[in-house]
Parts: sequence; C-alpha cells; structure tokens
Amino acid sequence: MPPLTAKPSSPVVRVENLSIAYETRGGDVNAVRDVSFEIYRGETLGVVGESGCGKSTLAYGMVNYLGRNGKIAKGDIYFQGQSLVGKAEEELRRLRGDQISMVYQDPMTSLNPVLRIGEQMTEVLTVHRGVSEGEARKRCIDMLKRVYMPDPEKVMERYPHQISGGQQQRVVIAMALLNDPALLVMDEPTTALDVTVEAAALDLVADLRRDFDTAILFISHNLGVIARVANRVAVMYAGEVIELAPVAEIFANPRHPYTQGLIRCLPKLGRSKSSSALFPIRGRVPPPNHLPPGCVFEPRCDYAREACRRERPGLRSLADTHFTRCLFSEEIDPAVWAPSPELQSAIRSQPSTASETSNDILNVSELKTYYRHPDSSPLSMIGLGKKEFVKAVDGVDFVVPKGKTLGVVGESGCGKSTLIKTIIGLEEMSGGKAQFMGFDINRKVNQRDLSLIRELQMVFQNPDATMNPSYTVGQQLERPLRRFRIVPADKIHDEAVRILQSVKLDEHYYDRFPRQLSGGEKQRVGIARAFAGHPDLVLCDEPVSALDVSVQAAVLNLLLEIQREHNTTMIFISHDLSVVRFISDFVAVMYLGQVVEIGPAEAIYAPPYHPYTESLLAAVPIPDPDAEQKHIRLEGSVPSPLHPPSGCRFHTRCPRRSLLPDGGKVCEAESPPWQDDGGGHRIFCHIPLAQLRALEPVVNIPAAKG
Amino acid sequence: MFVKDYMTRHPIMTEATMRVIDAQKLMVENNIRHVPVVGSGKRLIGLVTRQRLALPPETLASLDVWEIARHLSDMTVSKVMITGKDLHTIGPEATLEEAADVMIEHKIGGLPVVEEGIVVGIITETDLLIQLQELLGAQDHGWRVVMRVPDRLGEYRRLIRAISDRGWGVMAMGSVRTPKRTDAWDIILKVRHCTQGELLLALKEIEEQEVIDIRETGLPKA
Repeated sequence: MPPLTAKPSSPVVRVENLSIAYETRGGDVNAVRDVSFEIYRGETLGVVGESGCGKSTLAYGMVNYLGRNGKIAKGDIYFQGQSLVGKAEEELRRLRGDQISMVYQDPMTSLNPVLRIGEQMTEVLTVHRGVSEGEARKRCIDMLKRVYMPDPEKVMERYPHQISGGQQQRVVIAMALLNDPALLVMDEPTTALDVTVEAAALDLVADLRRDFDTAILFISHNLGVIARVANRVAVMYAGEVIELAPVAEIFANPRHPYTQGLIRCLPKLGRSKSSSALFPIRGRVPPPNHLPPGCVFEPRCDYAREACRRERPGLRSLADTHFTRCLFSEEIDPAVWAPSPELQSAIRSQPSTASETSNDILNVSELKTYYRHPDSSPLSMIGLGKKEFVKAVDGVDFVVPKGKTLGVVGESGCGKSTLIKTIIGLEEMSGGKAQFMGFDINRKVNQRDLSLIRELQMVFQNPDATMNPSYTVGQQLERPLRRFRIVPADKIHDEAVRILQSVKLDEHYYDRFPRQLSGGEKQRVGIARAFAGHPDLVLCDEPVSALDVSVQAAVLNLLLEIQREHNTTMIFISHDLSVVRFISDFVAVMYLGQVVEIGPAEAIYAPPYHPYTESLLAAVPIPDPDAEQKHIRLEGSVPSPLHPPSGCRFHTRCPRRSLLPDGGKVCEAESPPWQDDGGGHRIFCHIPLAQLRALEPVVNIPAAKG
Repeated sequence: MFVKDYMTRHPIMTEATMRVIDAQKLMVENNIRHVPVVGSGKRLIGLVTRQRLALPPETLASLDVWEIARHLSDMTVSKVMITGKDLHTIGPEATLEEAADVMIEHKIGGLPVVEEGIVVGIITETDLLIQLQELLGAQDHGWRVVMRVPDRLGEYRRLIRAISDRGWGVMAMGSVRTPKRTDAWDIILKVRHCTQGELLLALKEIEEQEVIDIRETGLPKA
C-alpha cells in the first residue's frame, strides 16, 4: 500500500506545448504538435494511437534524440525541474545514461549479438559507475531475478540469440533498470511478444513501477495493453494529444469522437460476428504536412460541424483530470451513436450461424509435417548421421464445413503457419491425409492441378512481402485472372476493376504501385488477389496483425463480406484471441504441433477449457480496465519441437496438472485422451471434463457496458 | 520502517557546475530544500541546502551592488555545497530511527540516501513526520484514544483485550513514558468499528487505567 499521506511532489517530467518538427526538402514537417503532460514518480502514462500519429517521435523527443533532421520546434521538456531543451549534447548523454532509460520494441536492437549477456549487463555498472567486476555481476544477477528470469547465472553466460524473445526483452528491461532511472520510456515493448509472454512482461512493468517508483512513458497501439499497465492515458491523433484522462475514464467515458471510434472498432473478447459488428473509422490519418485547417479529426468525424472546420480546438479540461481536444465533447454521447448509412450498408446483417446442412469441404486427418534437422556430426554430411526431425505439425485432425471459418490460435512456434502451408502445398506432407472436396491434396503445389491451385488461395500477414513492387496493382490482380482463365481475355481489365471495387478501392488504384499504398490498402489488394479466382478455400495467415485497429476492423468486415458473397471457406490464423473469436465459427487451439482443443467458437471461450486455452485467455490484454481476468501465467517458453515432452506435450508448463492425483504423473507418461464435450467440442487432456467444467470462467467482463 | 521504504526515490539532483542562481531557481520552483550534487553515475559529491545559498552578511558588506551581481552569476554550486565531513548520509537499509538520530545530532533537515557512493534517494524531516502520522493512524477515520497505564507487565494485553473482545479493531498504536513521570505510560490508540459511547464505556471498565483523551480524527479534509 502506498503511504496514505501523499507528500506534495513535483513531476519527474513535465512537457509543455511541445512541438517536434522534421526538416525536409519541402520545409519543416510538424510530426508532434502542442503536446503537454506530466508524469509523476511511480506513475505510468500510456500513449495510444494508430501508426503515424507521432507516438514514437514523442518518445524520442522526450530524450532529445531525434536524429539529424529532427528538432524541437516549440515548447519545453522539464526533467527533474530542469529544461532539457537546449542542453549540451554531453550533458544530455549523461542524463540519458544516469536517469533516463529506454526500452524499444525489438530487444535485439538494444543487445549486442557478439557479447555475452553478462558482459553487456555488467558493462553498464563497471564503465558507467565504476562498480567492481564482482559486485556488478552480483547486482546483475539480482536484477535478472527481479525480472523473473529463470536460471539467471546461466543466462549471464549466454549470447542474446541463445535465449527466447521474451527473455531477451526481460534482459533489456533489467538493463534499463540497472541504473535505477527516474524516467523509463517504453516504446511498444511487448508488441513483438506472444500473448503469454506479453502478459508476464506487463505484470513485470507494473511491479517495477511500484517498487522502483519510476515514472514510465508507455507507448502502445494496443488499447488492451494500455488498459493493463497505465494509470493515465493520452490518446494521440495526427501528432496531437486529443484526449488525456485516467485509464478508467478513457474506457468508461471517452469524450473525444476519435477515442470513441477506436474503442468501437476493437473486437471484444466474447463477441462474435453474429452478435456484434465492428465499426471502422472512415478515412485515414492525415499526413503531417497536409493537415486539415480546423480540427485534425474533422474529416473523419461523424459529429463535425462548421466550427470544427474553422478553428483548431485546444486541449481543454472537462473535469479535474480529464482533458479533450474537441469543441463539443459535452454534447457527444457515445451511447446514442449510430453508424452512418453507408457504414451500415457495408456491415449489413451478418449471416446467421444456424448451420444449414453443409458438407465438409476440407477433411484433415493425422496430418504430419516434419522438417529434417541437420545433425551437427560430420557423418550427416555424407548422409549417415542420426536422422532427427522437427515435428512442426504432428498428427492434426479437423474438418471444415463449407462456408465456415476455422480459427487457429496458439503461441508462436506451435505450427500454425506450417499447418496451412502444408494444406496449400508449400510444404511437403510427411504423413496423414488431407482431402479437399473429396480430392487428396497430399502433393506439393508444383505437382498440383491448376484447377486445384485455383480453389486454394492464401492471404499473408505482410502484404509487402506478397506483392511484386515493380508491378502495378492492376497487373498483379490480372495475373491470377489470366492464369486461371476466370474471364475471357478481353474482359480481364474490367474484371480487375470490379475486384478492386469489391475491396472498396476505386479504379484509380489500378495503375498504382504497391509503394503508393498504405498498409491497409495493400492488405486489401492482397485479399482481392486471393479472392480473384473465386476460390473455395482461403487460408489467412495473420492477415490483420500488421494493421492498425481501425484498418483492422475494415479489413475484417471486408473478409466477412466477401466470404458471405462467395460462400468461401476460410482458415484464419491469428495470435489475437479476440479477432479469432470475432471471425470464426470454429476454433482450433494448437500447442507444439498438436491440436489440444477444437470446437465451435463459443464453446472454446467458455469452460470447460483445455488448461492451455485457459492460460491463453488469461493472458489476453482486454481493452477494459474493469474486466476481471484470472491470473494464470505460463512459465517458460514453448519447448523445442525437436524433442517434444513425453506424454502430454503441455505437461511441462501446465498450471492445472495438480488437479490430477499424484501431481499429474499420468501427464508425463501417457498421451492424453480426446474427451468429447458434445457439439463437436473436443479437449485433449487427462483431467476429467467434469473437473474442467467446474473451473470458473477466466474472463469476466462487466455486462452492463457496451 | 526502513529508510528505503520512506525515502523519496529519484530526487532532483544537480551537477557541481550548475550556477548558484540556477540552483536557487530549481529549489524554489520545485519547492525543495535539499539538492544532492552528483558527478557521473549519480555519485554523491555534495549537498546544497537553502541556508547554503544564503550569502553571509560580511561577504555582502564588502561588495558593492555590481560586484554582488557578478559574484553571484559566476559562482557555481561547487563553491557553496556541503562536502567532506560535514556531509552526512544514510544507507537505504538503515532504520528510520537511525536516520532521525543523524539528523538530530547534526541539526540537519535532510539526508541523501547513498548506496556505495551512489545516490538512491533522499530522506527529510517531512518523511519522518509522515511516518509518525502513519504510525498513529492519523489519516484513517476513527477514535483517537490516550490511555494512562501503570508501568508494569500485562497492561497492554488488558487494554487490547478490552477492545478486541468486543470485535473492534485497533488500527494503530504507540506508547511513550508519561511526560515528567516514571511510574506510568501513555498509550495512544486508534480504534474503529464502534461508537464513542461504547468505546468509552469499555475503556472505563479497565481497572487502574485512565482515559486521558478521546476524540474523532482522520475525517476527510474539507
């Protein structure tokens, strides 16, 4: 408990009317404008917004580390009572070393790959502080323990590439804290991590803030993450803070139309496509050199009036701690918001989930994909080495009915992507059977019939990697049309335009190159191309993971719409359980190459759960600070698929093993049975269903709120 | 009750090269009275207090107005800070009593908290007063009672039992030897979950113990 007597104290950092500009050939571009806030000891200020809103620029600006063409154009930053603007480079460097630390998204950018972890960590203390080698080592090990690193002595001897991503990020956080900084700037520190690891890292941040009294500036695009760690939240849009309020206020009572829109476009855990719709915000973030003359959000705002176009609103106070940059915040009530007519037509009534007697289109049984693991002995060079296999997919069974969507979830390294690459024929099947509309699809894609290839298409995570940068959008769309002879040669152009329109892009996009498109538009083209040949089965590998929430909502709506139109079947991979819940009819949870739970979506998200599903659900960041979530954290990372654990593969990390007699000895010895819960819901676990069913739901979201 | 739990972490610090007038501004603007002076790696080299910034009158008398201005603007913190044997510090693992001891002995208002030469915080009189308040539960709403009890074994137990047997809670407690007497102790209690009448009745029943004072404290400030 904090001391009850709050001592009046000054903020660790105070930002006043800060504007940051980048010098370009076309003149200065103001990436951040008029931002003011303060952060006190032991407080976390979350900064949230879509990409291109100036979040990272703000973070770098805070430590005056903007690169050659960046500069603070206006305003001031007071750190510990002293202005940082105009300080000498040397002084700034010392401050950054002694009192300010930063943690970035990718831990490998902060770690030196050729030095052992121990060497890099002790260096912070020995070089900077003149601490003796032995003492520094002791303190580093203490700090690694503090960030819950398993076996810290061993980790000190390893190189960064020898530990997992989650552990790397812990090392970086530990290193940042070695100096006991007054201010910690974290720029998307958990974005690259798995949900389970992310949950543990966020717990860690909360603990450290409390114990070290550090002021934290936490930047994330994920509202769920922000809800979990922040005390106060600043919502950024187009370089401006448009709303600033305590975290509970932001989610329960957002006052700016943009914040309201952001919350509306999030798929909520427990909501499906049949019970709710996503409402994307129309338009997109204006580039900083082409801002509208009035309110920056005016072109996308449903409430825009004449006054909004004339003057740019300043950040004003609504209540003591709630600030907004909207002229009409008092009048806007998010409860009476209704989608505009065109939006409504775009997301018109969703298909009923009542299953019409549909036949199974894809039938997979005992599917195995093994990768040969090269032995390190010289014998293997001449083909005599021990034969070892990475069992990426090891005995997977499922069926997908026509027109339905199967969601696949699991941590990275579970074999999700390998599974669909095998189905589409990019990887060779090592065993088992897969039938598509009754035809075997055991062969690789280069040996398949053209008509079969046409029926199976894929949408990839990264639209950049899937498009040829030197072909125009139109040419790329025409290729499958021509190759699969969908339409006569003279109709190809018209058809390409029609497809473009079906993904809400107009004719002008035909002649554009991929580099001229935004991330969301590229993904639309990727989807358009996958659907061009009217395939029966589309495999989506994390299609929305790289997109901003408002774009994600639009792309998800688009996928649903096209699916409905063509009655296409989809397999949809995502690490985001809320997205999977939203779009899927069936969900398969994968762990280490095996499906551990499969069934209708609503059954997966309610007890009985497989213990692994339960842990995943407990880890999902929920964009609602009032949501109650059980605290279950998985230890360690996914074991190597080269030597999977015996018996149940999950037994090494299972938090529910103790429910079984003998502390779950049976889990180590025997592979678990498939237990049927009815309605196609099956769980791969030793624990009796009745016992699993008795467990309380992991997530409890207050029902009162929309 | 350790220094590390009650000190202010990440205190505002300065470097030895800072000009005295800037240091003065820093202290006034942030309403603080002690600023540790640190070198690279937050190593403590001195302490600046408000008294230290006040110039001794004899220095001023010998200078004219223009000289004073120049004298001030050239002077750096390193010239006025407390260093050497006058600079007292405390470790984070020390108890609050030890910190109080150092402060009383040297008549100083604040101590930098130092771990192996590195500043980890600062503890001042205010922190000690806050601790005193919390020790006596001053911030919680309830009845503040002062009991005078004879100086012998078992009096605490009788008093506590009289309260806890009735299901009321003792939130905080402190005891001191009764001022100017050797045969009695004053016990200050903070009690909640009861009315004043009930409490007074229960306390009066205890033989040989005397209710000195009872009042309601910890009401929210207007």
